[in-house]
Amino acid sequence: MIRVENLKKTYYLGVVEVPALRGITFEVKRGDFLGLMGPSGSGKSTLLHLLGLIDDPTSGTIHIGGVDMLNLDDDERTDYRLNKMGYIFQEYALVPELTVIENVALTAMARGISDAESRRASMDILSTIGLSARLNHLPRELSGGEQQRVAIARSMVNRPLILFADEPCANLDTDNSKIVLDQFHTINEELGQTIVMVSHEEWHKEYFHRIVYLKDGRIDREEQHS
Amino acid sequence: MADNLVKLHLSFFLGLRSLQRGNIGSLVMTVVIIAMVFTNMIFLPSVITGAIKLFEQQTIEYQSGNIIIEPKKDAEYIDDLENLLARVNRVPGVLRGAPHYDIGGVMKFKGNRLPGSIIAIRPRDETMVTGIFKKMVEGQYLGEGDTGVIVIGKLVAGHEDESEDLMPSLGGVTTGDSIEVEYTNGVTRTYRVKGIFETKSYMVDPLVFITWDEMESVRGGPVDQATAVLIRTVQGEDVEEVKFSLIGMGIQEEIKTWHDLLGKAFAEVVQSYAIINNISTFVSLVIAIVVIFIVIMIKTINNRRQIGILKAIGIHRTIITFSYVFQVTILSLMGILFGLLILFAMNLYFSVYPIVFPDGDIRPVFTVADLAANAVLLFIASTIAGFLPAWRIAREDIMTAMKG
Repeated sequence: MIRVENLKKTYYLGVVEVPALRGITFEVKRGDFLGLMGPSGSGKSTLLHLLGLIDDPTSGTIHIGGVDMLNLDDDERTDYRLNKMGYIFQEYALVPELTVIENVALTAMARGISDAESRRASMDILSTIGLSARLNHLPRELSGGEQQRVAIARSMVNRPLILFADEPCANLDTDNSKIVLDQFHTINEELGQTIVMVSHEEWHKEYFHRIVYLKDGRIDREEQHS
Repeated sequence: MADNLVKLHLSFFLGLRSLQRGNIGSLVMTVVIIAMVFTNMIFLPSVITGAIKLFEQQTIEYQSGNIIIEPKKDAEYIDDLENLLARVNRVPGVLRGAPHYDIGGVMKFKGNRLPGSIIAIRPRDETMVTGIFKKMVEGQYLGEGDTGVIVIGKLVAGHEDESEDLMPSLGGVTTGDSIEVEYTNGVTRTYRVKGIFETKSYMVDPLVFITWDEMESVRGGPVDQATAVLIRTVQGEDVEEVKFSLIGMGIQEEIKTWHDLLGKAFAEVVQSYAIINNISTFVSLVIAIVVIFIVIMIKTINNRRQIGILKAIGIHRTIITFSYVFQVTILSLMGILFGLLILFAMNLYFSVYPIVFPDGDIRPVFTVADLAANAVLLFIASTIAGFLPAWRIAREDIMTAMKG
């Protein structure tokens, strides 16, 4: 489903080159729950940004569903992110002026789905993740865990091909982290949702099917879990 | 097309929510600033328009009527006056013609001497053509057949204390006083002041009037001449058309509309006012553009990370840009509406308490055309000013924007 070949990313601090990824090659299969792990600065977030089409590699290729992502222009990438991808950020990243249901319905509305249909789909997802009582609350009125669950609902409302999650539990306590990871597990198991998630917590490993360990911008090793 | 509608709908949705649930203080401040700019754009031109209208109105009402007939070129008088008046009064659209006959003279009162023109009128005709009779501040206007009396302008009457006078005067004449007039033909008469008028026009208040009968007595016989014939047209008649009808009647004298009379010099004055108006409008627009640019710039910079996130989840940059444009358009509309309310209140106030100028009481004139033109200008300027910073931030790459 996702095929990455010799992916490199170099940042420039003035004239100093800082290689973040030094040639990554790997694949993600449909229905995978893949964990990207490694120490700080190993390049896992950079890799997720490149896979999620929110940053450009210095060189290499990314094919998703057979389409060369780097040949797409800015608008086509935006469309691809909207229609085929879901993205969950560390800091929830909800729109503060929108209510819970509006935040979730936003990307559905952006696809041209009617307001009523978008709200219905959003309500379905929000009730699945136990937030049906919070539909009309603003993000600031929710706990961190609730906000992250809203972000998950938002990323899921368009039934994406792939779900990217960038350390979604980084700001959550263990209980809330478990709730979030259980949600991922459920949607992966029940809906066959492909998920690529960055984490540095050892105990998250038990949720992943496969783990790619990064170190100094390279793949250090891979682990397969059943 | 459908795609664009979806984008517009979402832009409006995001823009509206941002205004509804964003910072109320910032919203109110922006609306008030736009309202003040709009008021400023309208107010100065409205006062200038009011001043121009006042001058035009004073010219028609007190000086020339709608049309004035003057002697032929190189002639001192209009001859065969009665025949001319008969023809003039038959022209469709003419309410009445009123003759004026100017005689030079020197007025004397308590040792003060004031040279000037004494104008003979026919009071019955005059009251149908000019409105001076409505502007008596003391005594009464002339009556048909009055002799031995004179009506004088406020500036001629003057004050006992010269320093209060704007121009040479008789030094404090009041109704009932006697004025001696020494005419240029050598005749000297003493008149009782029957009334004093004040129109607040510098062109009219230095005038003095006697009746036609009095003038004939000074001249020593019937006078079938005039120095001017003032014509009042029927309300709603096109003055130019009436002028052409008069020319069509074979009148050989100079026929001028009040507009012709004001002439090129007045047109230049109006043009100069238009330049002042344009400069004022331009400055107001620049202020509006700068304020809105700064407001939206600050807003987009504060929301930079959020803009990055919206792009990351697949919201097109055009939707993001136009969400800010919609905010600005809503803010401008609110500002313009608030500005209209302020102007409406000002209009009410100034209709009761006009701005007092030495040459008249000026009421600002708010025309629908001016209001609409300035509203559209401000709306367009605001929209552009809001678009630019939003467009700039929305074009940033996602990672840069997300760093905030």
